[in-house]
Amino acid sequence: MIRTSGKYFDGISSRPQDIEIILDETNAGLRFGILSEHSDFWAIADISFEHIGNSLEIRNRHHSLALLKVNDEVFATAFIAFLKANGQLTWYHHILQLGIKAYISIAVLILGFIVAGYLFIIPLVAEKAVMLIPQHYDISMGHTFYKQYVNDNKVDSAKSEALNLFANQLQLNNSIKLHFTVIDSPTVNAFSLPDGNIIVFTGLIHLMNDYDELAGLIGHEVSHVNNRHSMKMLCRNLSGYLFISAVLSDVNGIMAIIGDNVHNLQSLSYSRQFERQADEQGTQLMVLNGINPKGMTDLFTRLKSSETVVIPGFISSHPITTDRIVDINRLIQRTPHKFHKNSKLEELFRHVKK
Amino acid sequence: MENEITELKNYKLSFHGKGKAYFGIVIVNWLLTVITLGFYYPWAKARNLQFLYGSTALDNDRFTFHGTGKEMFIGFIKAIIIFGVIFGMFFLFMYLEMPALALILFYFAIIAILPVAIHGSYRYRFSRTSWRGIRFGYRGDRSELFVSFFKWIFFSIITLGIYGCWMEMKLRGYLMNHVRAGNVEFNYRGKGSEYFILNLKGYLLSLITLGIYSFWWYKDLFAYYVDNLSLQKEGQQINMKSIATAGGFFKIIMGNLLIVIFTLGFGYAWAVTRTMNFIVSNIKLEGDMDLNTILQTEDDYNDATGDDMTGFLDINFIM
Repeated sequence: MIRTSGKYFDGISSRPQDIEIILDETNAGLRFGILSEHSDFWAIADISFEHIGNSLEIRNRHHSLALLKVNDEVFATAFIAFLKANGQLTWYHHILQLGIKAYISIAVLILGFIVAGYLFIIPLVAEKAVMLIPQHYDISMGHTFYKQYVNDNKVDSAKSEALNLFANQLQLNNSIKLHFTVIDSPTVNAFSLPDGNIIVFTGLIHLMNDYDELAGLIGHEVSHVNNRHSMKMLCRNLSGYLFISAVLSDVNGIMAIIGDNVHNLQSLSYSRQFERQADEQGTQLMVLNGINPKGMTDLFTRLKSSETVVIPGFISSHPITTDRIVDINRLIQRTPHKFHKNSKLEELFRHVKK
Repeated sequence: MENEITELKNYKLSFHGKGKAYFGIVIVNWLLTVITLGFYYPWAKARNLQFLYGSTALDNDRFTFHGTGKEMFIGFIKAIIIFGVIFGMFFLFMYLEMPALALILFYFAIIAILPVAIHGSYRYRFSRTSWRGIRFGYRGDRSELFVSFFKWIFFSIITLGIYGCWMEMKLRGYLMNHVRAGNVEFNYRGKGSEYFILNLKGYLLSLITLGIYSFWWYKDLFAYYVDNLSLQKEGQQINMKSIATAGGFFKIIMGNLLIVIFTLGFGYAWAVTRTMNFIVSNIKLEGDMDLNTILQTEDDYNDATGDDMTGFLDINFIM
């Protein structure tokens, strides 16, 4: 039987009453009272406690406001050990006794799960989600953007027509109708919209020397459309963003900002992944059409040397790196291919370039 | 008990929570919330409050938060239903192609929810707080607050927000003047005009000094809140005074920023305990009240809906 002195608040007034408390192990409870009259008894089954710092506060669920207070570490240790031996500690008390090392491990573990979820599960789920989204969403989304874009920019209709005829000569494995538009602008760029609209700037066309380079560009952009890269990107970005904000926003604002930036970097790497896929499939489309696949690397080498202006889209977020060209060359070597001069395409290319 | 002592006493307000202990609670909360896909949130919130209240002491006796995860979970579900209905209405009218009506109703509902949520939150949180076994309580009237709130919002809108300062003081006054701890009553006497001038000065000087003055502004705001708060019981009283300095605010804010950034957020627990310690140790209590003679006056109350609604609206309104 361990005894100690403490304070008792009766839940009626704030007056502290000095008491003596006895841990009664035989009757499984606490006996306490003023001086030596230990008239009150709390059974351990009714007891809840909080142990903060060196203060032990004990309550009884039958008198929720009455409170026993003890500042005696020896007593507190014995009391908690007794509760533990009698199976009166809740799972939460057990967790709280784990200590800092365990907490840090838990923190690292959660972080690991989050990172794994973000890197592997989110892209997978997003990609599956894209399969569920009907393609007419892609079409109406792209269409809205296209109308707006064409309105704000100068379309070269003669060149656009020639470019469409050029593309019509090629077998492009497309599932939706393709439509090409040439915009009169010195910008060295091109991009594709999810509805099959592909926009090419005259700045890029002027840089090309041969029709196989144009075929390379078309192959690349068409691959984006065929693989629904825009929609995949959108789904990945959106789900990644939701995931990050759901996990971090409750922690604090600064973490959310850090998370956002990490996410931007990550989405840039998604887009690189898509670019590589388009390079690869674009090259394969050239082979399929009997066009010299070297046109793709020629185009990239030319773009690389002319890379002076910073521009978004086709180039800047995914610069023409040497390894991108090396990869295409490797693919060409691997792929058996035959090509022949195509005078029809050559003729149309002249019209596009004129 | 006879009380003829007239000289002023000092009361000690202190915070004993250690970052390490709080870190354990935060991490366990985080883990369980993630594992349960968010459903642990109400329990996490209760644990959190239990720690923070339990670590704060007046004259070496700790405060206790009696709220439970179960109560908060019920409140959480009710709050979800209320917000579900509001958003449901919004999307229904959007679907019916009446966007103007949808928006008006939506804003009206959010504004109408605010006083109800604040009232509920005060009612719940204070009734679940005790010190030395004496329950706190909030005795404000919901309909009265509701009507006043709409009046204040209306004035704030037509004065392009200037009335906001008056609104804030009136709201704080209404709330605090209805808070009690047993038979001790709280009293707040901040005025809109003084508060407005304080903010105007703070804003302009912060602008001119490129934000450097903002630490003095924080100091003034904190002092304005604390200095106007007092406790009364049977003619005895306790006055509060802030002893926080601008330098203190600078240290706590910049320190927390660095801690959180350099620990990639894991130092959050330390940032909170530092902040609590800063707030609590900068409030000086002085008066002639006998803390041993407070009597129990409040009933039990266990509806946490308001508390969860303020949580969803992202307003942390308590104290």
